[in-house]
Amino acid sequence: MDTIAFQGLIGLSLAMYLWLISAGLTIIFGVLRIVNFAHGSLFMMGAYLAFTFYGQLGLPFGLAILLSLLGVGLLGLVMERFFLRRIYSIDEAYQLLLTFGFILILDDAVKIIWGGVFKIPPIPAFLDGAWRVFGRPFPVYNAFVIAVGLLVAILLWALFEKSWWGRTVRATASDREMANAIGVNVPRVFSGVFMFGSMLAALGGAIGTPVRVVAPGIGAAMIIQAFIITVIGGLGNLKGAFVGSLIVGILSAYGTLFFPVFELFFIFVIMAVVLLVRPQGLFAR
Amino acid sequence: MKQGLGIASVLFVLSLLLVVAAPGPAGAQCQLGVPAIKIGVQGAASGPHADYGRQIEMGATMAIEEINTAGGILGCRLEMKFMDDENKAATGVKNARYLVTEWGAHFMVGTDSSGVAMALGPVLAELKRIHFFTHAATHRLTEELVAGKGIQEIVRVSVPVYQDAIVAALIFKDRPEIKRWATIGADYEYGYASWSLFKDTLKKYRPDVEFVAAAWAPFLTLDFSPHVSAVMAQKPDAIFSTPWAGEAVMLLRQALIQGVFDQIHAWWQAMGGSVDVLEGIASEVQRDRFKGKLWATARYIHNWPDTPENKAFIERFRKRWARFPNYSAETTYSAFFIMKAAVEKARSLETPKVIEALRGMQIRNPGGLRVFRAEDHQFVYNVPAGRVMMDPNFPIPVLGDLKIFPAKDYYRHPPFTPVAVTK
Repeated sequence: MDTIAFQGLIGLSLAMYLWLISAGLTIIFGVLRIVNFAHGSLFMMGAYLAFTFYGQLGLPFGLAILLSLLGVGLLGLVMERFFLRRIYSIDEAYQLLLTFGFILILDDAVKIIWGGVFKIPPIPAFLDGAWRVFGRPFPVYNAFVIAVGLLVAILLWALFEKSWWGRTVRATASDREMANAIGVNVPRVFSGVFMFGSMLAALGGAIGTPVRVVAPGIGAAMIIQAFIITVIGGLGNLKGAFVGSLIVGILSAYGTLFFPVFELFFIFVIMAVVLLVRPQGLFAR
Repeated sequence: MKQGLGIASVLFVLSLLLVVAAPGPAGAQCQLGVPAIKIGVQGAASGPHADYGRQIEMGATMAIEEINTAGGILGCRLEMKFMDDENKAATGVKNARYLVTEWGAHFMVGTDSSGVAMALGPVLAELKRIHFFTHAATHRLTEELVAGKGIQEIVRVSVPVYQDAIVAALIFKDRPEIKRWATIGADYEYGYASWSLFKDTLKKYRPDVEFVAAAWAPFLTLDFSPHVSAVMAQKPDAIFSTPWAGEAVMLLRQALIQGVFDQIHAWWQAMGGSVDVLEGIASEVQRDRFKGKLWATARYIHNWPDTPENKAFIERFRKRWARFPNYSAETTYSAFFIMKAAVEKARSLETPKVIEALRGMQIRNPGGLRVFRAEDHQFVYNVPAGRVMMDPNFPIPVLGDLKIFPAKDYYRHPPFTPVAVTK
């Protein structure tokens, strides 16, 4: 029983990583209707910037995370303002091409700036240890990821449900023309949302830095899972992304424990079942 | 007078141009009738495994510089083009076709991934070019494609998966306290074949051991926590692990924070003796966080063999690149000298003649004596395995408590029996 509970907790930390990535992807799709394939690359940029600020320049880990969020937010702003904005009104295939192009550009950019070889930052002292949970050592680091994930979920709920900005964004997402007619500066909202979504991706990359290596291509590993989660939860639905992350994270962990031979496609089985039962995803209207 | 001065000036400039344009000492009298011997080199130069491609490139560059400085091969200068195969079979095949048909490569060297190597095999027969494999470790490359299908253009300079698996069994058969083994394996053929060979070999010596858990991590896994906790739930005495390069570093660090090294007797990290992994876990080794329980292999390590050739190689490599060579650097460097010896013996660049010249070859490289095995085109040599530790003579961790197994003890021999390559 302890083993099952412990593995569930490990799965929860995996789910919270995935939630951070899929939340940004979901928000961007929900508001801008952009399927941002480059979201994984923004995750990677978050990791690289955090590595630079924390691992190379020696800044405190928290400050390094903050600076990496700002850096990637700025990058997102440039992407939206100068590129994506020009293709909102044309065929969706161009979104795919453009965002895929950003994957290639950003992957090559990190190779030029940081080199192709992986980087290994140290583990901050306050995260380097374990607590005894269910009779086994549970890493403080994984607990930290769970806490950050839950905190982000609460903040996002408060932001979109309780704040003026959230209401404006939701209004813009449901009807751009009407929002524009009542005086909402839609282009500015779009820029803000894309920037915000990019920062969430960067947060995932940055908090992963201490126990992961940072390398070109790590975004590709995450983006596939993030897309699966958004499909399971319902495209553009934040609650769906959260539940989808929990499903994928926790069941992946149990898959590794109980069905190691099938672990690789366990996640795809989950997606197939959900799509068979509710093709629009669990929480889509 | 003025006209004479003009002509003299023109002649002077022309002579200068001739000096600049003339081939160096190697190119002046190439006995093989080519402007240069062209060698296409491939490796994974991007992603978490990119250090291997980089090391292949460093080994190749240094070998070419040394060979050219010493007069080339039969007076012919060597020229190289390095390409990133991105660890992808399709890219590797595309690169090989480009290198031979468009760039005009006479030989090819390198390749990190077994998947890329297996895809390249049949293409090499079609392109009629020898590829000296200097990393890709699948046993199937030599056992199936050379010994089985007779693809002569495949030559492997590095050790196959035997070392990662069979050497581990030979070491741990003598540890009676270790009875329960689990694996955290690379979720592809390399991981399955290693675990399978390890289990089969160990069982022969130790019928009492149990294989209690297996977790398989796909390529580019970033979070190994579920894999570590899943196998630790079965309370193994030791872990057999095959993710490599950056993934190995992540796995070991994530296992450390789950307290794994307090609960087991030993962890076997295949290829964990590679420079990139040793650098990646250096601070943990310095603080003795693995408690002397981490064992690893590499197809060559910088602190063995203790020979003048190896010491001189290390010195030159460090001077040239300010780093230690990993095994793919040494195997690639050595591949060039093997190629040189074969071409000089064949006095030709023709593939069948060079292959014929390789037969019976025994050659000393920094990694030791390599012997060509004609049945499967595998260069056979002794390799070390050991405990990961600090040594005051080196700035990065090394493998210590070395166990050296003679090649005959751990190589499989033809006719080859199939190895289970599924989980």
